[in-house]
Amino acid sequence: MKLENFIILFIVIPMGSGVIGVFLKERVRIARVLGVMSFLATASLAIGLLIHLRSHPTGILVSQMGAWPAPYGISVVFDSLSGLLLAASSLVALACYVHSFSTVEPIAEKRYFHPMVQLLMFGVNLAFLTGDLFNLFVSFEIMLMASYCLLTFGGTRLQMTQAYKYVLLNLVGSTLFVIGAGLVYGMTGTLNFADLALFVSKRQAEGRSLPPGFAALSISLLLVFGLKGAIFPLWFWLPDTYYTCNVSIAGLFAGMLTKVGIYAIARTFPMIFAHGNSDANRIVMPLLAVSAAFTMFLGVLGAVSHHNIRRILAVHVISQVGYMVFGLALMTGVALAGCLFYMIQHMVVKSCLFLCCGIMERHTGTDDLEKSGGLLKRDWYLGVVFFIAAMSLVGLPPLSGFFGKLVIIREGWESKWWLSIFGLLTGALTLLSMLKIWGYAFWSPSAKAIERTPQNMSNTSSLRPAYVGATLLVLVALFLGFGAQPVYDIAFRAGNQLVNPDEYISAVLGPHALDELTQYRQQEATRLAAAAAVEVMP
Amino acid sequence: MTIILSICVAVVFAVSLYLMTGRELKSIAMGVFLLGHAANLSIIAMSRTPVRHEPQLLKGAPILTSSFDPAHPMNSIVDPLPQALILTAIVIGFAVMAFLLSLLVLTSRKAGTLNLEQLGTVATQDD
Repeated sequence: MKLENFIILFIVIPMGSGVIGVFLKERVRIARVLGVMSFLATASLAIGLLIHLRSHPTGILVSQMGAWPAPYGISVVFDSLSGLLLAASSLVALACYVHSFSTVEPIAEKRYFHPMVQLLMFGVNLAFLTGDLFNLFVSFEIMLMASYCLLTFGGTRLQMTQAYKYVLLNLVGSTLFVIGAGLVYGMTGTLNFADLALFVSKRQAEGRSLPPGFAALSISLLLVFGLKGAIFPLWFWLPDTYYTCNVSIAGLFAGMLTKVGIYAIARTFPMIFAHGNSDANRIVMPLLAVSAAFTMFLGVLGAVSHHNIRRILAVHVISQVGYMVFGLALMTGVALAGCLFYMIQHMVVKSCLFLCCGIMERHTGTDDLEKSGGLLKRDWYLGVVFFIAAMSLVGLPPLSGFFGKLVIIREGWESKWWLSIFGLLTGALTLLSMLKIWGYAFWSPSAKAIERTPQNMSNTSSLRPAYVGATLLVLVALFLGFGAQPVYDIAFRAGNQLVNPDEYISAVLGPHALDELTQYRQQEATRLAAAAAVEVMP
Repeated sequence: MTIILSICVAVVFAVSLYLMTGRELKSIAMGVFLLGHAANLSIIAMSRTPVRHEPQLLKGAPILTSSFDPAHPMNSIVDPLPQALILTAIVIGFAVMAFLLSLLVLTSRKAGTLNLEQLGTVATQDD
């Protein structure tokens, strides 16, 4: 069996188990087993393929749906970028799903909770794998639809008065995306990423400018993806959203939703919409740089000002997204590799913190820092897990956050030193807000609220799945810290392939797609050499 | 044909933006739905001449055609891709519309109002 045929399993497994899960409405135990099996299967498949592809010449696997050739059919592409993200997202989903066994209400579980989680991951996996812009839109819609449902599970008054903001905002974003996709098709006649990249590279090799309005198109798509990714002027929806839903689901959202937006920017902008030295590039790059500075710094200031564990963590997501945008704003191969590594480690670590927050809420009955305390004495294991995750988020060596920030900040020091300074400052403030949670919740003497909570409410038997989930993520975070080298090998390859898309184009469109392009490039090179020779002659 | 379509797009956009500036959630929802229709119309309007950089199979194909020239059959074929895009977008739009309307019904039951200002005060009371 060809290796390419395995790719579609990433999409089929969650979709299938989601559909089957609908019929297992009353059989909670079977539905749980099915869900865990599904996430285990996708995670092990992703890791297996990544290890196998290390010796592959390009590391890109392409599957053409229905064997229709590339620009006309639907291509599903598994490369180093999507592979790393798929592995991380499946592991995070597994952990959050296991954690939810001890936090989700029994009544919600009988109302299609399990299928919704599967369908959310179906959308996320499709977004990471798809090879064209319109399927990216479709996968966003699948993911968002599932996230609307998960957000309003339970239907409390607080949820209902907050949910409409998220739904309406994302609807407007999706509509803008449809218009953007239509414009791309109208201007270039294709929606396939590889074909678009070939179009842009060809135009640049020929020395012709891109179609008029291409820069405006880039910016409107940046707006759409930025809204999903919660970058600087577009992040206002995020804190309210993560505040109202179930804590395991908040952990899943914190891991997945913003990363899909950042992934969409990383996939399309270096390759197509801001490739090389175009007008679009000259407009998009400063926008990204300014947005990165504001996202990092304002996000962390917001986190410092809050006094609620969940709010602190939610606002922190924004500040960390800033580092990823920083990597994107540099748009070199190394910086994109750093951005990718940071995305993975942030998925794992941030979800882990949310899962810890869920256990802390069960112990104290509240997520208000003023009312909690004495947790270290009550549950030292939770303290250890939380401390490792928090210090990974801050970026203390040798934990995973350090390696993410190191590469991005070092790469930025040459060209955009002011952004690097913002990054370092943000790191310090992150430490401050994590120490705030640590000091209030774990170190301070036991408060009254915690004494009122009966011991049996937080007994370990009902919380066991929650500990399993948090432990799994902390182990992955430790692996990312101590085993950063093999992960970075794959990430560097992904970064280089984004900046220089020739390998991606020839993998998707076939090896002959590049013939014309290399011809243009050779002509250009001989012309330049001749011009240089003429200049030297007199 | 394109000019008529672009005027349609402009009018639908204007109406949807007007509806979205309202203070009632119902009118905002209607505005969002109309925005979706405007997007679909704009895809039709833009899809007239695909400028593929490969062999131009369908260059100049009119989007709505009634004349069929047997000598050049390719000239009267409409580029099918925008239709496929719009069809998908419409189907997704249906699902989202159904979800949003049921969400609004639930919200009005729980909060007792769909006015944005009153919703804000209800939310703070709950805290």
